[in-house]
Amino acid sequence: MKRCCIYLLVLCAFPVALLCSSPDPKPAPVLKSKSTHTEWSVAEGEQRYRANCARCHQAPPKFQPAAMGTLIRHMRVRSMITDDDMHAILKYMTQ
Amino acid sequence: MLALCVFTITVTAQDAPSEPRPVPVLSGSAGEVPIVGGGQTTLVSIISPVVLVPFGGKWLVESRAAFEGDFTDQEPGSHFGGKINKEVEYLQLDYIANKYTTVTAGRFLNPFGIYSERLYPVWIRNLQTDPLILPLEGESRDGVMFRGSVPLSSAVNLNYTTFFSLQSSTNKLESDRGIGGRLGLFFPGHRLEIGGTVEHALVEDRSNRFGFHFEQQPFSIPLEVRAEYAHAAEGSGWWIEPGYTLSGVRWLKAITRKTQLVGRYQQFYIGNGQNEDLPAADTRMAEFGMNYFICEGLRATASYGREFSSAGNQNVWTAGLTYRWVLPLGRGGRP
Repeated sequence: MKRCCIYLLVLCAFPVALLCSSPDPKPAPVLKSKSTHTEWSVAEGEQRYRANCARCHQAPPKFQPAAMGTLIRHMRVRSMITDDDMHAILKYMTQ
Repeated sequence: MLALCVFTITVTAQDAPSEPRPVPVLSGSAGEVPIVGGGQTTLVSIISPVVLVPFGGKWLVESRAAFEGDFTDQEPGSHFGGKINKEVEYLQLDYIANKYTTVTAGRFLNPFGIYSERLYPVWIRNLQTDPLILPLEGESRDGVMFRGSVPLSSAVNLNYTTFFSLQSSTNKLESDRGIGGRLGLFFPGHRLEIGGTVEHALVEDRSNRFGFHFEQQPFSIPLEVRAEYAHAAEGSGWWIEPGYTLSGVRWLKAITRKTQLVGRYQQFYIGNGQNEDLPAADTRMAEFGMNYFICEGLRATASYGREFSSAGNQNVWTAGLTYRWVLPLGRGGRP
């Protein structure tokens, strides 16, 4: 019970800490993040699609870009993909 | 503290000016899957619409309802009958606070393990029968949830979810008061995810429940393996589900590349609590199935399973069709 409470406390503290921290203006190179969303290549997006989306989905058709903008936002919440993954996959799915 | 969080959220949230302007989407799935178990035939019909309404660069309202009819023939030779269960599975407002956090408020799926949140829809799940431990993963909750994914390095992402839910007895929006969270590590280079969940009820017996999940789809072979363990006062159990797509088979490629073979083995052990959705005795079950992807969104599915229980053994057969659709409600376009 005590361990459970400590675990929950850590879990609750984690998002608050993240909320209160600003995103890095220059992402760490090791994360391979991009400073703007337009720099993602289609190949990189495809790679991230295969790593994330293909875990549950067969390769889908590329939907209308505006629909993809909504679906990728939905999947960010549902499938816990990272922000970088979301933008890269959106680039791949809308090209 | 709360004011500081709200202020920080407002300041730090990012826009993506070059990306297409999203439009509302009506999506969803439908399934017609007869199940024959223990000599009883049940015609399971499911329609599950999903509505997604984005606004601004950071907000999303999403909702999924389920209309499920389990029709049985109460007497041999009689017509199939039964009622249609209607449920709001989630109706939530998401706010993308920053790169690492999404704040969700409203009614949401209980974030326990991976099955109920990610694999439950009929068009995603590999086998149409529910895992025996699914009722241990809890019902939808009404409350607030924080969740997100943080890249720890180029090789591993940490994903987290934590929530607080309220007690509600409102029809179709029932919820239990509780807190809990889930942590997972995802290795994209190996498509491997492991994680754990813990929850604490703030009503009645103030019980705890916890679980672990595992998922991997290696890049080198078209194999996927998923597994979960769950423990609660009502019982405990686990399942493991490998699936193999026959895309590597050289003959009849037009057919084999659309065919997936699936298996699942699971065990359930009864506990002290009461839950009518769980087996009444310790149970083991082995299942084998096949899915065939006919065309985009449409899939034929069939499976056979054998359930071993001190309450009686039985065969479980399923065969049916599942369908998924996506319908944009607008043209959108680039800004």
